Amino acid sequence: MGLDIRVQDRAFDPHGECAAFVRGRADAGALASFVGYCRDETAGRAVTGLTIQQYEGFTQAEIARLAGEVAARFGVGELLVIHRVGEIAPGEAIVLVAALSVHRAAAFDAVRVLMDYLKTDAPLWKKESGPDGTRWIEPRAEDHKRRAAAETVA
Amino acid sequence: MVHLVFLGKFGDVAPDALARPALPGDVRTLADLKDWIAGQSPPLGRMLAATPLRLAVNQALVQDLSQPIAAGDEIAFLPPMSGG
Repeated sequence: MGLDIRVQDRAFDPHGECAAFVRGRADAGALASFVGYCRDETAGRAVTGLTIQQYEGFTQAEIARLAGEVAARFGVGELLVIHRVGEIAPGEAIVLVAALSVHRAAAFDAVRVLMDYLKTDAPLWKKESGPDGTRWIEPRAEDHKRRAAAETVA
Repeated sequence: MVHLVFLGKFGDVAPDALARPALPGDVRTLADLKDWIAGQSPPLGRMLAATPLRLAVNQALVQDLSQPIAAGDEIAFLPPMSGG
């Protein structure tokens, strides 16, 4: 099982990363991926950027622990997670989660469940900036609901 | 000497002096520490009381606030997380 977990402040190209992830892997029949982007508005408010804070060391280790759980549960051979920290502009990728597996079902499930875990359990703190100032973002009720439902994905 | 780390919104209100506090001898557990912090900084104390809080000691999540504090511990106060 291979986990590639990166927490980084520099921007990245999610599609280039997926291409590199699958290169030379003729044993894998499926790549599933999710990319989360910084939007320029939320609930009718303009967003000029995000600042994401990590807890150095702990954040990477916790994401690796969550990814390891998901990989084992779905029998996925390889997981890639890249998560930005620091200053992020609208239109930039915040997070990439990608899974390589023999067949599609495990790859789809692993990506969706790991994203649901990251929303509520990855030690990251997101602050949104807009014309009216900044505010810390906390998980929504829907995120907690999805996190709970993720436990029951077969 | 312990090292306290306040993440996210806690960091906005935590006084800098709390990073390496001189703790009185009767602050023995994580629960004692939380109470002591509320005395040092009422705004932070109110925020800690009103927020679903997770604690990490030496970078491991801890559930039990009756855990004793040891010299050299790094104790992190984690507000609700928001990855992805």
